[in-house]
Amino acid sequence: MSNPTFEVEHLSLHYLTRFGEKIHAVTDVSFEMKQGEILGIAGESGCGKSTLVNGLMGLFIPPLHPTSGEVKVGGESLMNRTPQDIREHVLSRRVSMIPQGAFNALNPTRKVKDIAADVIVAHEKADRKKAYDRLGERFELFFGAEAKRILNAYPVQLTAGERQRSVIGISTLLNPEMVIADEPTSALDVSTQKIVIKMIFDLLDAGIFKSMIFITHELPLLRHVADNIAIMYAGEFVEKGTAEQIVFSPKHPYTQALMGAMLSAEPGQKSRKPVAIEGAPPSLAEAIVGCRFAARCPVARPECRQNKQELRMFADRLVRCDYAE
Amino acid sequence: MLRQHPTARFILQRAGWYLLTFLVAVTINFFLPRLGTSNPVDIILAKSTGGLSAQAAREKEESYLKEFGLVKLDGHGNIRRDTTIRMVKVWDASKQASVSKPDTLIKPIKASSLDQFFTYVKMSLSGDLGTSFQKYPKKVLDVIVQAVPWTIALQLPTIVFGWIVGNVLGALAAYRRGMFDRVFFPVALLISSIPFFVFGMLLVYYFAVVLGWFPAMGGYADEIIPSFSFEFFGSVAYHYVLPFFSIFLILAGGQAIGMRSMGIYELGTDYIKYAKWLGIKESRVLIYLFRNAMLPQLTGLALSLGTMIGGALITEMIFSYPGLGMAMLSAIQNNDYPMIQGVTLIITTCVLIANFTVDIMIGFLDPRVKAGLQMGGN
Amino acid sequence: MKLLKNLLKSPMFVIGAGLFFGTILVALLAPLFYSVTLDRVGEQYAAPGMGHWLGTDNLGRDYISLLIMGLRSSLYVGFLAGIIATAVGTLLGIYGGFKGGWIDDLLNMLTNLFIVIPSFVVLILISASFKDGRSLTLIGLIIGATTWTWSARAVRAQSSALKSRDHIWLARINGDGTLAILVKHILPYLLSYVFMVFILQIASGILSEAAISMIGLGPLDTQSLGVILNDAKSNGALGDGVWWAFIPSTVLITMIVFALYLINTSMEGVFNPRLRK
Repeated sequence: MSNPTFEVEHLSLHYLTRFGEKIHAVTDVSFEMKQGEILGIAGESGCGKSTLVNGLMGLFIPPLHPTSGEVKVGGESLMNRTPQDIREHVLSRRVSMIPQGAFNALNPTRKVKDIAADVIVAHEKADRKKAYDRLGERFELFFGAEAKRILNAYPVQLTAGERQRSVIGISTLLNPEMVIADEPTSALDVSTQKIVIKMIFDLLDAGIFKSMIFITHELPLLRHVADNIAIMYAGEFVEKGTAEQIVFSPKHPYTQALMGAMLSAEPGQKSRKPVAIEGAPPSLAEAIVGCRFAARCPVARPECRQNKQELRMFADRLVRCDYAE
Repeated sequence: MLRQHPTARFILQRAGWYLLTFLVAVTINFFLPRLGTSNPVDIILAKSTGGLSAQAAREKEESYLKEFGLVKLDGHGNIRRDTTIRMVKVWDASKQASVSKPDTLIKPIKASSLDQFFTYVKMSLSGDLGTSFQKYPKKVLDVIVQAVPWTIALQLPTIVFGWIVGNVLGALAAYRRGMFDRVFFPVALLISSIPFFVFGMLLVYYFAVVLGWFPAMGGYADEIIPSFSFEFFGSVAYHYVLPFFSIFLILAGGQAIGMRSMGIYELGTDYIKYAKWLGIKESRVLIYLFRNAMLPQLTGLALSLGTMIGGALITEMIFSYPGLGMAMLSAIQNNDYPMIQGVTLIITTCVLIANFTVDIMIGFLDPRVKAGLQMGGN
Repeated sequence: MKLLKNLLKSPMFVIGAGLFFGTILVALLAPLFYSVTLDRVGEQYAAPGMGHWLGTDNLGRDYISLLIMGLRSSLYVGFLAGIIATAVGTLLGIYGGFKGGWIDDLLNMLTNLFIVIPSFVVLILISASFKDGRSLTLIGLIIGATTWTWSARAVRAQSSALKSRDHIWLARINGDGTLAILVKHILPYLLSYVFMVFILQIASGILSEAAISMIGLGPLDTQSLGVILNDAKSNGALGDGVWWAFIPSTVLITMIVFALYLINTSMEGVFNPRLRK
């Protein structure tokens, strides 16, 4: 078995507000990824997914700070490094990002080829001329005869699908080991979604990048895309297992609720009505004593509010609930 | 060639729009002064005909009426008159009684407002802005031609430099935030709340009257006759300092505030975040930021040029600077309507030309503008 | 209420609002505590001292009295012009932005046209034509009539962005008419925005009045901060070093405008995240 390409050990992150208040956006996240693996991360908006993304790239721009833990890419740590070092040696080269809403991800006043060339010259001692040539070759892989038109276009002149595929092309230009895709298909129509997903898999198969984290709130999509799925709630992983396990036999009450809220139309579900999860996640600015989901949990017991829940092995996956059945 | 085409269309379209705006401005310029309660010719006549004989007064009135396009003219430029002969009562001293006599000066035919308007447009377009009341028989255009270079020399550099300095500072404040921003922002906000003209007064009071470092008024020392001499330009530069700063500082403050909030907004946009995630060099990201935040700032400049130039004209008045502001002030004080109208028309024209220039610049700097035009056009 | 609470957390808002309402209170209540008079009470340009804390003007009138009257006039003009400009601009802006189509095109063209033509010029031309009877109210009306374009532009952009929101579609499907949608669904969202525009329009009204008075086209029926400045300038107070003739009114104008800018900026900070969503 090969060494893991990506290791995250007990990673906690916090924001430091202007008034000196600490907001613990991510708490004690651990996982490992093997070459070729796709890990899906799902959760409601505001659960700490986006913060986690920055941490996974070693990108700590104030007010975001690491609290504790470790992130390693190919055995190399990303912690305690200068932003300049991370920018030059990690971003785009080892870990890259495919952002949400690629509609606005490209600088509107710059041609696609210039944005892409900016990426190359920022990391390699290449002149722009050579960078353009390399771009041409890479974009022909995705766009064939259209490559030239796309590269010479301003973002406004492209369709939503073309833009998203350009973004994926730019993000994977330098063959990063790890790609983090944050809702790469949201706001696209179904057929375009398919094209984009296919492009991502083609790149993975071609070995242009080695493993991927796929973040989305669409669990049905994850079932088809991911090998493993982690469910995040209030800054913590509450359940992690194979895609099959999470989607078909969720054990944590939150995962079950999420499935209820999202997968109600799938056959085999008891209720066909979408069930919204009542209430809101707890404030992360204060210390939380018991289970973070207790206040919204339909099966919570009185002791849940006192006892901190730890991730434990249950039914072949990790669950953060002592009472999971 | 293909690229040439939309560009040419873009410029033509903007030019057409500004031509329309100019025509509306000319119309406003003509009709607004006629809105009010007072008739300009009556006022000037009341002032200039005192002590003249009836005959001389009539002649003077007719010369004014002709001068200001209030009567109809024939092909030779003479006043067209009512041909029906009228009798007027005249006091005959020998008979000690009023007698009826045919009118020697047959009443001129008054031009209707519409006729006057067309005459005015025709004259304006051919560069004739009429004759000054106050400096009669001096032509309005001659007075303006003398004043315009001063105004341009004062305002063009102040606006350009003020804009650049303000935007650079604003972008830095947005990008750096922290202490620099916390001090910079309230100061810039306070400075931009001061009207140009009162700031000019404060500068004059402190640096000219109290300290005596700079002259309080004028464009050059009184005893120097304008010429291409070192002495003259030295004096001009010396007189330039205070008016320059009184406009420059406030303009830069206002621009800095606009740029700061634009910059902060742009910093939060997806494309800046993405550029950072990609590890694009910080200097390059700053260029992205500055360039894109600058575009709305340029639009803002185009829109507020009119207000800026208006404010700067009052600054000229404070400093008795020999530009359009002074010409306007003296015209207002003397009810010199042709002069007021002439100056306002020139100001409007300058503002429109400046606007047009900025518009075209934006079109070249922002691909979205031209792309939008192409999409809209097709 | 929650908005107000958030606003009160912003020091900028507290300072701005405090200054502005303080000024209004002073303008309203000062005559109760101070005998305001336009009579000659001292020598020409008597220096500040006991009796006349801010000295007297070229006619020997008490400057504190003049400033109180001037402040009242400037605030009056600011509010009058601000109300007109905001009301007209908001109506046209909301309607045009929401309706779209040729009505919007026409209104938009009109707005852009009058934004480019310097309103200062229009102000001069109208003021100059009202040689007699140029009252403070008339000037406020004229300023309002020349500055509505800014509000129209700003409001139109917001209203046009709101138009495509889900709840508007819903209301349309439910068969609500244009007017009902405007009043029930668009105006409430824009209220905070319109209020910000109003704040800026008051500032612009006060500044415009000062500017027009400075060039000698100010109100003939009363004092105003601009008229005080103009008197000081045309009677040579500047060259003679009579600082009390122009510094107090300069400070007052700047302070009011600064206070309004502070209010506007702090509100922007609180409202914008919501507007951008």
